Amino acid sequence: MSLFSKLLGFGAKKSPWILHYNAGSCNGCDIEILACLAPKYDIERFGAINKGNPKQSDILLVTGPVTKRSRERVVELYAQMPEPKVVVAVGSCTSTGGVFRGMYNVEDGLDRYIPVDVYVPGCASHPEQIIDGVAQAIEILSSKSKKFESAKQLMRKVEPNRPVDRTKIVMKIGEES
Amino acid sequence: MSYLAIFLAPFLGGLLYGFERKLKARMQGRKGPPVLQPFYDFFKLAGKRTMIVSRYHAYLGVLHFVATYIALAMLLLGADLLIVIFTHLSATLFLVVAAYSIPSVFSQIGANRELVLVSVYEPIFALVAVCLFLSSGSFEASSILGGTPAIYKYPFLFLALLAAIAVKLKKSPFDAAEAHQEIVGGMEIEYSGIYFEALYTAKWLDYIYAYAFCFLFGGSNYLLGISLAVFAFFVINLFDNSTGRIRYVSVVSFFARNIYPIAILNIIVTGWMI
Repeated sequence: MSLFSKLLGFGAKKSPWILHYNAGSCNGCDIEILACLAPKYDIERFGAINKGNPKQSDILLVTGPVTKRSRERVVELYAQMPEPKVVVAVGSCTSTGGVFRGMYNVEDGLDRYIPVDVYVPGCASHPEQIIDGVAQAIEILSSKSKKFESAKQLMRKVEPNRPVDRTKIVMKIGEES
Repeated sequence: MSYLAIFLAPFLGGLLYGFERKLKARMQGRKGPPVLQPFYDFFKLAGKRTMIVSRYHAYLGVLHFVATYIALAMLLLGADLLIVIFTHLSATLFLVVAAYSIPSVFSQIGANRELVLVSVYEPIFALVAVCLFLSSGSFEASSILGGTPAIYKYPFLFLALLAAIAVKLKKSPFDAAEAHQEIVGGMEIEYSGIYFEALYTAKWLDYIYAYAFCFLFGGSNYLLGISLAVFAFFVINLFDNSTGRIRYVSVVSFFARNIYPIAILNIIVTGWMI
């Protein structure tokens, strides 16, 4: 049994299937994600493929500041992915809201709605950064279990105006040195 | 010997699929995944939580795998080709019924397209069986492998078989039934975890099944048969990489205008000359 579970963990490390969702991005990060799949960076050498089907995916790559129109879709896509699953927020907008932060039509980042495991900074994120984020996501993926995470629990976390300590994620303006 | 081949068929199919992904990557100038990648995917899928839409949908997916395996086993045991083809057709139909049994729109679109394409490519397999019968005098795979090579008399049927295999294995330009991002995999969209694994492994068996038909064209000359199968593998992947997807209606008209005429003319002309 332990050998079998070891094999399962090994497989989880070697075969991350990616679901890419654009939550109102300017397409800058999407172009960079597609560049990861193209010959120069070729993320398929890690076994990753862009699956497009939440039921068969392991890693959810989200770009964009999560507009109000797309938030339900993001939560639904996340709920449709079978465990173990990992969420990667690609780009400044998805991590914190970026330049759209505080605007009336966006939700200031993905972590208000679904639990995010890896934040990839950059506007737009460079393909090397995205590959590094995916590599870290694979590490997290192999440590997660296939235990069911209830969608209701998920929704309870999703409360508007939930305080998120973003100082841990980004520096305040003026602090950068 | 054939029992060993039946036992090893999923492993060989997985290796073939991995090698194909590598070859496609090399054709595009990429490094590509490791050759053992399908097996990594296999273990990954076994570790995923399974989400089921309905029990019958899931069971029909498993039945698809079982029927595919039975068809391949019959082919490797040297059974009657027509029975092999129809058993394999029933495997496809299990999946179509499964896809129709759930309300997912993409699943139903995929099933519609698959049914249309089945009606296009299955007769080609039957015609291939007929031409193998005409050249060796038997429908049984074991006698065909002892007879004269069919490729000399029926080269155009081999070309027709290449096109039929491209449809069967869902290769561009004939991959309208699966259509990766367009209808998100079509019939296989609602499968996940261990049940998607059944479909994924059935795909490996399909590879062995399809290229075994190319091998049969070599007859008693096994070296010729192997080179025909390798040629088919290379050509199909070359076309898969270098063409875009055409609509399923265009697939039907392409087959009706080009593939069927050359296949049937080949049988008639060869029968007339001999």
